Amino acid sequence: MADQQNPQLSGFIVERMELGVFAVDSSFNIVLWNHFMHTHSGKSWESLKGTNLFASFPELPESWLKRKIEHVFALGNYAFTSWEQRAYLFRFKHNRPITGGVDAMLQNCTFLPLRDAKGKVELVVITLQDCTDNALIQQRLAEAITVSDEERRKQQELIVKLEDAKNQLYQSEKLASIGQLAAGVAHEINNPIGFVNSNLGTLERNVTDLMKLMAVFESKETELPKDTQRELSKIKKEIDFEYLKEDLAALISESKEGLSHVRRIVSDLKDFSRVDQSGWQIADLEKCIDTTLNVVSNEIRYKATVVKEYGHPPLVECVPGQINQVLMNLVVNASQAFPERGQITLRTGEEGMYVWIEVEDNGIGIPPENQQRIFEPFFTTKPVGTGTGLGLSVCYNIIRKHEGDLIVRSEVGKGTCFRILLPIFHGKMGESEEIEFANSAPQ
Amino acid sequence: MNKGLSEDQTDALQELANIGMGQAGDSLARIWKEFVHLSIPKIAIVDASRLPALIHGFVGDTAVSASRQAFHGGFRGEVLVVVSAKDRNGLANLMGYEGQLDSVEREEVLLDIVNLLGGACVGGIAQQVNAEIGFSAPSLIGEDIDPLDVIHPDQLAIDKALSLEVCFQVENRSLTAHLVILLPNNEVGALAELLDQFLCTL
Amino acid sequence: MPVSVLIVDDSPIARKMMRRSLPPDWDITIQEAVDGAQAIDIYRKGGVELMFLDLTMPNIDGYGVLEILQAEGLNCIVIVVSADVQPQARARVLAMGAIAFIPKPVNPEGLQEVLRQYGILV
Repeated sequence: MADQQNPQLSGFIVERMELGVFAVDSSFNIVLWNHFMHTHSGKSWESLKGTNLFASFPELPESWLKRKIEHVFALGNYAFTSWEQRAYLFRFKHNRPITGGVDAMLQNCTFLPLRDAKGKVELVVITLQDCTDNALIQQRLAEAITVSDEERRKQQELIVKLEDAKNQLYQSEKLASIGQLAAGVAHEINNPIGFVNSNLGTLERNVTDLMKLMAVFESKETELPKDTQRELSKIKKEIDFEYLKEDLAALISESKEGLSHVRRIVSDLKDFSRVDQSGWQIADLEKCIDTTLNVVSNEIRYKATVVKEYGHPPLVECVPGQINQVLMNLVVNASQAFPERGQITLRTGEEGMYVWIEVEDNGIGIPPENQQRIFEPFFTTKPVGTGTGLGLSVCYNIIRKHEGDLIVRSEVGKGTCFRILLPIFHGKMGESEEIEFANSAPQ
Repeated sequence: MNKGLSEDQTDALQELANIGMGQAGDSLARIWKEFVHLSIPKIAIVDASRLPALIHGFVGDTAVSASRQAFHGGFRGEVLVVVSAKDRNGLANLMGYEGQLDSVEREEVLLDIVNLLGGACVGGIAQQVNAEIGFSAPSLIGEDIDPLDVIHPDQLAIDKALSLEVCFQVENRSLTAHLVILLPNNEVGALAELLDQFLCTL
Repeated sequence: MPVSVLIVDDSPIARKMMRRSLPPDWDITIQEAVDGAQAIDIYRKGGVELMFLDLTMPNIDGYGVLEILQAEGLNCIVIVVSADVQPQARARVLAMGAIAFIPKPVNPEGLQEVLRQYGILV
């Protein structure tokens, strides 16, 4: 026990330390009240000695505090209160009359059992520690943590967006490199196709000449000796000469047809990517639409029927490779708008100084709340990585860089129509500078 | 190597916990004027990774509130009290709270209950083996949480623990509290020694 | 004739503690049961005169044992020895035919006093 060590010193410490100390007996009568309690409560030991705690301080939460002290008497346990849950036991003025920040002294309390010689709890001593300063620091810390948590959350969001952007860039780069590859291949294929085509023409002429000669031979056949005639007729039968004559012509004309198909695809690929002629040009937008449709025909063949309603507008000054990219996006998007098979309608027309293209589907439509957002960068209703590539935000940017406009109108359940407006003249002809694929928000 | 408790030591600990809780139960019953049922204390040495499952096993599939308190001295460890979230009001009533509780009052009730039951059980054991034990202020683990979230093994400083569980039921209040005393594996030796000293007196 | 005593407790340490609290020079024979079911078996074989009975046990607890003993004529003296020292527990077992209730940990002097009170020990 402390009083065995140095009663005078212990007494002084209890009386004078900056800690509230008081004690009650099992009837809640006050049997100890130190200087700290005196100065903060304004009530002295002399005035409180032997009085009931709850009679002297009716503002105390009696039911709860009684139960708490009873538990300590019964079990001989320590008990605690913390300012975090219970700001204070006694409402004392805080120690910040000038700097403020709190409305009362925040307190941590400890309830200590004092046992008699037989081990029975005789008194409960309660210490009361002023935690205002610590609490203020902790509150500030908690606020700082909230702020930093919020920042971390934002960073997390940014990381997700970056990931999206990376995916989009990846998609667009992939698209661009596929375009370049295709154009490269197209260029390489062009030469062999050229001489195959020319050879095929020569072959056709040669075969025709040969057939002419054969016809003369055949007309003179009866003039040959019987033996020779029999021999010739036998060989003709063996090689099915009559069929061979017809088939030779058909083979050549089918080959010519196939070859012209290959040439069209190669030419479309070259047109689409415009590797050989990037930059501003005077272009026929209907031709742009046709080449785009040829390139994506595989993508949409089983999903949609394509209807063209061309109004033959004038040629437009534009970067055709990029307009093709926009058209491809819109057409592929449209083809993904159908629960089953649908129809995509492509219209063109002229309006003042502008030419317009419409890409319309009769699909599921876009809900009004999303219509505002579809041109935002990173906005997608499809899982990451499955988009068409550039996304509508890039399409929008391309059209804006053309000083045109991209407008959507849509009705849920009816369909969506994208309208591209492009000015006919720019005065940029001959500039080869590519329009940046900026992923910035529409201005 | 896991130096657990011998059969005698385990049995002695169980009996001492039983006596300690019995005395605490009596004291509380007198204050609360309610009959308190106590289960036989269950003792096990468990891998830290199994503690969430152990606690889930005590309470079952129900949201819980939990609080903890550390003790030190003759032997060191922590006490957890887990109460089913729906039991909180009955508990608050017993602790002298009146009316509807706000969220900080609910927290305080949880801190009070771990202090009360933990002190009673650990204090009761310590008293019988003549060990001096001190308690730190209790703190909150969580309210309305999954029983599997009471303890996160990856945040523990130990790999094995001695668990002593007592189920504490108050008649007429549909209140059940599970008290789990956890001793880190390296503290089990200190407790075993105290138990041996106690066994020698028999 | 030695007195036939049955100590019923699921804890071996508790049974040991119980044995140690009995007066050392008392002329008795001691049997032990590890739960209520075993206690009933031994009781039914006859001859048990004094039973020290724990309350919290597996396989029939102390209350269950008292119920069965009462139903079968309560042919022995039962002293309940329990850590559950709530007044309600005490009242409950006394109502069920136990002659005394001794709280754990058993205090040897207190036990002797009870035994003398009921004339079991002279």
